[in-house]
Amino acid sequence: MPARNYLSRDTAAAALVWSAAVVVAALFVWLTGDIVWRGAAYLTWDFLTAAPQDAGRAGGIGPILVSTLLLLAVCLAVALPLGLGTALLLAEFTVEDTAFARAVRRSLDILAGIPSIVFGLFGYVFFVQVLGLGFSILAGGLTLACMVLPLLIRACEAGLRAVPHEYRQACAALGLSRGAALRRVLLPAAVPGLLAGAVLGVGRALAETAALIYTSGYVDRLPSSLLDSGRALSIHIFDLSMNVPGGDRLAYGAALVLMLLLLIINATSAWLSRRWSQGRIVSV
Amino acid sequence: MQRLIWVIGAIAALAAVTVLNSMPAPEAASTGAARAQHSLVLTGSSTVAPLAGEIAKRYESAHPGTRIDVHGGGSGRGIADARQGLAHLGMVSRDLKAGEGDLTAYPLARDGIGIIVHAANPIANLSKAQLIAIYTGEFGNWQALGGRDAPITVVHKAEGRSTLELFLAYTGLKNSETRPRVVIGDNEQGIKSVAANPNAIGYVSIGTAEYDIAHGAPIRLVALDGVAASSEHVRDGSYPLARTLNLVSAAPLRGLARDFVEFARAEQTRDLILAQYFVPLAQ
Repeated sequence: MPARNYLSRDTAAAALVWSAAVVVAALFVWLTGDIVWRGAAYLTWDFLTAAPQDAGRAGGIGPILVSTLLLLAVCLAVALPLGLGTALLLAEFTVEDTAFARAVRRSLDILAGIPSIVFGLFGYVFFVQVLGLGFSILAGGLTLACMVLPLLIRACEAGLRAVPHEYRQACAALGLSRGAALRRVLLPAAVPGLLAGAVLGVGRALAETAALIYTSGYVDRLPSSLLDSGRALSIHIFDLSMNVPGGDRLAYGAALVLMLLLLIINATSAWLSRRWSQGRIVSV
Repeated sequence: MQRLIWVIGAIAALAAVTVLNSMPAPEAASTGAARAQHSLVLTGSSTVAPLAGEIAKRYESAHPGTRIDVHGGGSGRGIADARQGLAHLGMVSRDLKAGEGDLTAYPLARDGIGIIVHAANPIANLSKAQLIAIYTGEFGNWQALGGRDAPITVVHKAEGRSTLELFLAYTGLKNSETRPRVVIGDNEQGIKSVAANPNAIGYVSIGTAEYDIAHGAPIRLVALDGVAASSEHVRDGSYPLARTLNLVSAAPLRGLARDFVEFARAEQTRDLILAQYFVPLAQ
């Protein structure tokens, strides 16, 4: 008798776990299905390259795509070196449990939890007004960099810490300098973790709206320099669905493009990470 | 694998050079006055921004070499940016208040705020007193107004929105006296909230509501004190809950700003105002 009882309890638990998984998968399918279904009609070369017209109700998203990629480039160009440096300091050059390291980590975790609108208002005051960059892609990209940094640092640090300690000991035993050990062994071994951090950062930056409204602005013209304002895809979607009557249809098109952009970036980095970690360390 | 690093490095260098090349010389960028000769920045009301953006595009194509940047964000931002000099012109979707005498307003168009309910709701007319009773929570059920036996879901606007300010000025309520169930930001969001809930009541721009009704949104505009909420009645001034869409500036207009304001208020932008579902000023 008790055996049967366990069996039924087992089945119930399995059913629960399965239904949770099904609910999550169904939500995902519903969401992406809705966007693909309503947006697929707009996925044409014309839509991707043409300029928006009639406040975004007609035309395409060409200039907006360019602005989005420029924003992302500025963000990564600033955040990647800074983030990697800080992560190296935390993972390789400080003992894990000193008060200093703990304080840095704690403040990073707090920064990572701050709502993006706060970063947006900070950027509005600091980059736009104090540094006089105006409403520009540069100001927006720098604001995004501030926002993405904590995420990036923590992910990179985790990536570096995941490298087995024996690697470091082996390097020391071979008499490699610290720089050489980092360059030749530790960084290559940590690449999957670093890329995962970068992808997280890119994802957050691409999806960001609140931090950009007051920094990079709304202008949907093709930017001619980093000091021009440029509208990001997410802001375009927000504006079309919230402020422009009849903008919904094209908002779906833009949302689909944003989703595809994220997928492409994720796939590329996964491929890069695989390729890199396969041959890198042994081939040295 | 060394090669991969070189390839990535080369791509990064190329990208950096392209970006730097496309940037203007530092002198040109830092002298804001020189830039301002040919470019204009407008910020403010997200209700006015799509209209101002379209007017700006027409102005740019008629005056090659000029650049007009339009940013949304709310009337509050328009006033703050115009005062701080971050924008040459602010966009404000209400009349200026007593404390804003340092600014000059240049009216662009009119816009009415309509009370909307779900299409399935039988209520056709509300008096000002009934509206106040609904928004203060005195009436919690549609039955009190002769409707169905269902709780009223009150949809209200967030702080800093001029639609909210106009609504409060008309009803004479303080924001703390209202008892909203849902607080929203933009017009389209208000329409979506009401369209999704048969028991909801909200208020949005009449032009936006008319557009969405014509395109099948299940909502209805309710007459206010017996006056139908329509563009018609906003233009002739008989509808009580209406506002003026303004451009504002902190300093006397000069050069490009003056030219643009004249352009925006002339007859030639009438079709753009209608296309954005606003009401042109009586000529």
